[in-house]
Amino acid sequence: MSESMYAQLVGLCAAVLLLCAVLIVWRRSLHGQIRLLAAQGWGLGVLVAVLGIHEGDGQLMIVAVLVLALKGIVLPRVLTRATVTDNGDLREETPLINTTASLILVALLMMLAYLVSRPVQALGSTPPVAAVPVGMAVTLFGFLVLSTRRHAVSQLIGFLLLDNGIGTIAFLTAGGVPLVVELGVSLDVLLVVLILQVLTSRIRAEFGGADLDDLTELRD
Amino acid sequence: MTGPVIGPVTGVELGILGQLGLVLVGVVVAVTVPPAVRSRASGSVSVLLGAAGAATGAAALAGREGVVELPTSLPLGHVALQATPLGGFFMLVAGGVGLVAALYGIGAGHGPSTSRTFCAAFPVFLGALQMVPAAGDAVSFLVAWEVMAVASTVLVLAEHAARAEVRSAASWYAAMTHLSFVLLLLGFAVLAGTGGGTDWASLSRVDPGSPSASVAFVLLAAGFATKAGVVPVHVWLPRAHPAAPSQVSAVMSAAMVKMGVYGVLLVTLRLLPGGPSWWGTALLGAGAVSAVYGILQASVATDLKRLLAYSTTENIGLMFLAAGTGLMLRAHQVTPAADAAIVACLLLVASHAAFKAALFLATGSVVHASGERDLDRMGGLGARLPVTGLAFGVGALGAAALPVTAGFVAEWALLQAVIHGARPEDRLVAVIMPIAVTVVALTAGLALLTFVKAYGIAFLARPRSDGAAAAVESSGSMQTAMISAAVAVVALGVAPGALTRAASSAAGVEPGSATLTGVDLSGVGASLEPLALLVAGALALAVVGAVSAAGRRQRRPVELSWGCGGVRADPRMQYTATSYAEPLARVFDDALRPERDVVITHAAESRYLVERVQFRQQVVDLMETRLYHPGLRLVDRAGTAGRRLQNGSIHRYLGYSFLALVAVLLVVTL
Repeated sequence: MSESMYAQLVGLCAAVLLLCAVLIVWRRSLHGQIRLLAAQGWGLGVLVAVLGIHEGDGQLMIVAVLVLALKGIVLPRVLTRATVTDNGDLREETPLINTTASLILVALLMMLAYLVSRPVQALGSTPPVAAVPVGMAVTLFGFLVLSTRRHAVSQLIGFLLLDNGIGTIAFLTAGGVPLVVELGVSLDVLLVVLILQVLTSRIRAEFGGADLDDLTELRD
Repeated sequence: MTGPVIGPVTGVELGILGQLGLVLVGVVVAVTVPPAVRSRASGSVSVLLGAAGAATGAAALAGREGVVELPTSLPLGHVALQATPLGGFFMLVAGGVGLVAALYGIGAGHGPSTSRTFCAAFPVFLGALQMVPAAGDAVSFLVAWEVMAVASTVLVLAEHAARAEVRSAASWYAAMTHLSFVLLLLGFAVLAGTGGGTDWASLSRVDPGSPSASVAFVLLAAGFATKAGVVPVHVWLPRAHPAAPSQVSAVMSAAMVKMGVYGVLLVTLRLLPGGPSWWGTALLGAGAVSAVYGILQASVATDLKRLLAYSTTENIGLMFLAAGTGLMLRAHQVTPAADAAIVACLLLVASHAAFKAALFLATGSVVHASGERDLDRMGGLGARLPVTGLAFGVGALGAAALPVTAGFVAEWALLQAVIHGARPEDRLVAVIMPIAVTVVALTAGLALLTFVKAYGIAFLARPRSDGAAAAVESSGSMQTAMISAAVAVVALGVAPGALTRAASSAAGVEPGSATLTGVDLSGVGASLEPLALLVAGALALAVVGAVSAAGRRQRRPVELSWGCGGVRADPRMQYTATSYAEPLARVFDDALRPERDVVITHAAESRYLVERVQFRQQVVDLMETRLYHPGLRLVDRAGTAGRRLQNGSIHRYLGYSFLALVAVLLVVTL
């Protein structure tokens, strides 16, 4: 793989990650959000594969396959199953912040991400380092979705977005993490999502909806 | 790491180590021994602990020296324990009180005071109490202080299962005692920061005239006053004393609050000697207010333990007044009277320890026997509880500062110091000393009334309730404890010479030419020989008795033709504590503001005929309603407002963390 090709591929993957993240913030439909999340998972998997091919690291290739399988296929499936039983209630109806405001916030967070990443970017000018702000931005977008959406599944999507962002930063800066650690982290995320899926179904069974604003008696 | 002690061990060091060892033994015994003998075994260890404290204190007073350094696993360095004459005096007092209280506790063994927790906490409390005056640096002092505070809180809570008010009392106590701790911590931190070390020698390098010394003095004095129960930070006293078991109240009132006095003396005599004159004036003012306010509240109180608690505030006030007088006069170069005032302060400490221990233990015996704490429901206990009555009577004599008791000697010394301190040419002293004399005199008078009420209503006349009528005398060890405290009151009053010499050496002043029996405040040209007074009094009494016997004629028997209603005397016709204190409550109406409630039911036939009159009077602590309640309400409101931050919405919590993250990132970036 030539250097320019490598740079373009890394840039493309980063662009896919960022675009998916922004679109997730924009879309209201849960199914649309899940499809975008799957696309983002593919983007992340391909990014890891590109890095692996460039480094000639076999272990990183295995990680890439793992990421692809988990974030591109398994997690979206699980999320879809969480929404399938949800007859008709497939839209994030009333987010705490409306779409326009969210998009403005996204722009501001993007700026913040670039500001914060300056010290990291000063370390080198390789393509992965240049893409670090994207990882940071995806993390912040994830947090934004997590804290402004009411629907339990939307929140799950926010959480996965956050996780994708952290993963992106890890792959871009450190050239990936050891296989064991990646396995552990992936397993954790899978477990969290499974548990939350079960929890969401239970909440729906108990209260008839998955709006988390109804759950305010958890304090004290 | 080397062992705790290197080289030959002196007697004092052995005493300090022995006390620490006995605390450990006490805890182990309390945890392991079966309930049937726990109280006896644990109590015996505590008695030994008290005795060891008293012996070590006496040795330190006699000038023996010793330093014990214990390595700790805390990042604070060594815990240094060092005996000094001043500390020894207080260790002696604490040990003596601990000894009688522990002895009393052996016999009071029933209910919650035999629980494992109680039996383990008691020796820890006593040990910490005896280690506070032995502390050789600020860190050790604070460690011992905190252990003392925590252990005493546990003991106050002993009866929490049976009575609901105990929990509230313990909360008040815990809050106030930690307020005291925080103030002390800040005060010592200021001193240590200026002096460059935490040991007493470094702290005493601070110039007493400097602003930081004054800041430290204010913080430390406030902290010690909180522990001592000086108005307005006395509010825990009238709550904690009735809530705690009687032997604990006795130790707290007779020994623990004295540690506040010890702290003030430590700071003003040893660490920062020669401070500005306003230090003394401030202490004197606080003491005067406490003395008058305390005894006024005590005089109208009907709960016996509450009465004793307010009387503690009064006595602590007198001690602060004495210490303040001493400091102020020192700053104005009236040295003889200043020395006498400080000796008087220590005499007050010892005498109060003796009579308050007797009073609290006797009260405990009364509560134990009759189940009553309300004076209005007692009566006739003198005949039913003769030993308790004797001990309470002697204690009451001491509290009222009547001759042949320790209280008399102490107040006499205080009055001498205050009277001889007057200096017409010095304006401040000339104004303050007469006021101090008035305060001491008023306090003494009110104390007399208060304790006449306490003894008369509780022990004389007829029982006012079934519980009082059915009372039976308590067990042997309780009687022994009460009587030994009472004996101490009389012994210190009849032969106060040794005590005065001890107080002089503790205060580091020139002892007068004191004999064993007499007090000689040579500096102010006053001396007292209680024994001579006693002999003279007995002779006078004998003469009067003989004269009246000689002059007595044969009595003619008198039969009542009409009993004026007196023959059908009912217990309800007697004076009660409330009615006895009624004139006083009227005189000091503005200061006490009692809540009175009179309900008159008229007869149906005519409104000029009264069928029934109901009178209810409640005296509330003005400091509490005017000072604490508004403050607490404010804190409460702030807390309620603060709860709005936490409304249970998950979005809000996530938003908090998101904002925090963004804020941190911004700060890092900019």
